[in-house]
Amino acid sequence: MSCVRLGVILATLLLGWVLLWTTQGKGVVQDDPERNIAIPDVLLMPLQMQVAYNDEKIYFRYRWPAERAYVYHDMLRYEQGRWVRHGGSPVGAHPDGTYEDRVTMLVDDGKVPEFGRYGGYITVGANARFFTDQATPAEVQADPHLGQTLRQSDVRKYLPATRMDVSDWRGVVDEQTLQQQREAGYFLDLWHWRAGRSNAVGVSDDQLIAEFRLSDKGRGPYTTNWDAANSRPMWVFDREKAGIDALRWDTVQAQSPDFDGIYFLSEDLAKPFDPDHQWQEGDVIPRILHRQPEGSRAAIGVEGGPARWSNGYWDVTLVRALDTGFPLDDKMFREQGVYTLGMAVHRDATGSRWHYVSHPYTLGLGREADIVAQRFSGETPQWSDTWKDLTLFYPGQVNWPLLVSKAHAGAPDIAEGKPVRPRHSEKQLAIYGVEMEFNQEIISQWRKTLVVGLLLMLGVWFGLHRLMKNVRLNEGGGA
Amino acid sequence: MNGVHAMLVHFPLAFWALATLMILAGVFLSGRFAELSRAGLLPVLVFSLLGAVAGLVSGWLVWPAEANLYSPLARNHILMAIWSLAIYSSITLLIWRFGALMFQGTQRWALVVLALAGGLLFAITGTLGGHLAGSPTHFSQLLAAFGWTVYETFYVPDAVLVALLLLAIIAAGVGLTAKTGDKG
Repeated sequence: MSCVRLGVILATLLLGWVLLWTTQGKGVVQDDPERNIAIPDVLLMPLQMQVAYNDEKIYFRYRWPAERAYVYHDMLRYEQGRWVRHGGSPVGAHPDGTYEDRVTMLVDDGKVPEFGRYGGYITVGANARFFTDQATPAEVQADPHLGQTLRQSDVRKYLPATRMDVSDWRGVVDEQTLQQQREAGYFLDLWHWRAGRSNAVGVSDDQLIAEFRLSDKGRGPYTTNWDAANSRPMWVFDREKAGIDALRWDTVQAQSPDFDGIYFLSEDLAKPFDPDHQWQEGDVIPRILHRQPEGSRAAIGVEGGPARWSNGYWDVTLVRALDTGFPLDDKMFREQGVYTLGMAVHRDATGSRWHYVSHPYTLGLGREADIVAQRFSGETPQWSDTWKDLTLFYPGQVNWPLLVSKAHAGAPDIAEGKPVRPRHSEKQLAIYGVEMEFNQEIISQWRKTLVVGLLLMLGVWFGLHRLMKNVRLNEGGGA
Repeated sequence: MNGVHAMLVHFPLAFWALATLMILAGVFLSGRFAELSRAGLLPVLVFSLLGAVAGLVSGWLVWPAEANLYSPLARNHILMAIWSLAIYSSITLLIWRFGALMFQGTQRWALVVLALAGGLLFAITGTLGGHLAGSPTHFSQLLAAFGWTVYETFYVPDAVLVALLLLAIIAAGVGLTAKTGDKG
């Protein structure tokens, strides 16, 4: 047998294997804004938590790394005589960095049992906002409940039983059933701390998930500062109170806010827009006006005043009454109670679905749980250095209808009530989430790889077979 | 079907492991044990292929077809299983056609390379099966250390596919153009 020819044939197999191994996973995953796809550079991030409570209040402390503090949210920049918006929900990171950091927490008291097993996945319905197959504004506006009753134009988080068909966001159950569900506690409390739209006035937004992501009753901590009729801000800084007429664009772009200075516009710093003021190129007025919230929506405060970012970390402590008195909006905490939490963080100027989420974790008040709240007496908790370390992951485009469908091998396990945490790690879920964003392309490429790999083996076998026939002939055997 | 599959795949895995050891023994050892290994290899390989077909069919039926295609782990399991079957089929055909001749001269190195490649492939296949059954092993961490996280679908770009096809053509062409009496 020719040693050289044999060597070449075997080398093709080995070289092919090296090529396969070193280039696997490449060539498909890439940002595609047209399809609402933007893959974060990092798929996992840490979050540390501590929880404490006394007779009246409960405190949640969150700490997470963030390269910068993004507190400027939705800004109006004066450009060539016009007020131009730099904000709004982007695909992935906002190119101007004008999108706020956030930490959010879903809370349940056992009335949404599947939340305890599958966490936030149950809130991600069909055709959600910023999914590749998102429902169009026209479709949502035409819907009797989401469009005409709630006046919405996109599909956001909702709970499965608020729909007649879990795979159809349109089929909202009737109003009476929704009301009965709420009274039965079938909703998730949503603590929603916003670095740009709530923190500056020392509060967290307070919302809930039912048939939509709804706000608690009452007045929210911000309103839109835009005079649409005149295409200009409605409110501007009052120099006598704020010491400035406007922020500057280069300051906003630097993303290093002075937490002791003015980086936001609030009612007590504002005055009505002055059309006679000589606005300068690069002047910036926030498109968000902060105000003190009222009612149920004002239930969550930031302990110790606005939270701060320093040395690469946000450190946020939220505080709320154990019982807010709003049982249709909030989940109440009680001694000896066990609750389910699901946390999420937005950082790096991202919004909507570009967040990092946690598995569901239990919280115990005087009970064993994943996170045990520390009871204390006095006015404020004395935090220790003992943190609950969590790993958050980028969830990609995976929704609840998919998870309970035949396309998910674990659907029977879900039907049997087996929880997700023992089955899938955060890393695994992050990778699956990204792959789902390119599912058809990856399946196609996988098929081609499978077939071409077989062809390579066929080529090697054919080459060896021909060589061996010659060997047999050389040795005097038959053909 | 999951239990049936778990039972059936023991046969090809055992036969392939045995066949790989018999090839290595047949190539590198001498004496009675080596002779037995060479003589008994073909039946072991044939049984392994029968078991592999049963394993593949039963495996495909564990989940709905859609779930098989949507799961990155299942995709990888299927790909590695089919490639394992292909490489041991190659070995089987070579042993069937050329028998003891494959253990002689330089061509025995072809058997060694194919057997080791097959061994690696079926080890990966089994590891992925363990993951799918909820029993991951540390072997996947070894694969990760070498650059492949098993939760990521194994696929390559089109340019690499073209290169692989060229390699396949080269391999076939090198054999096709060999002449009788060619000593290299």
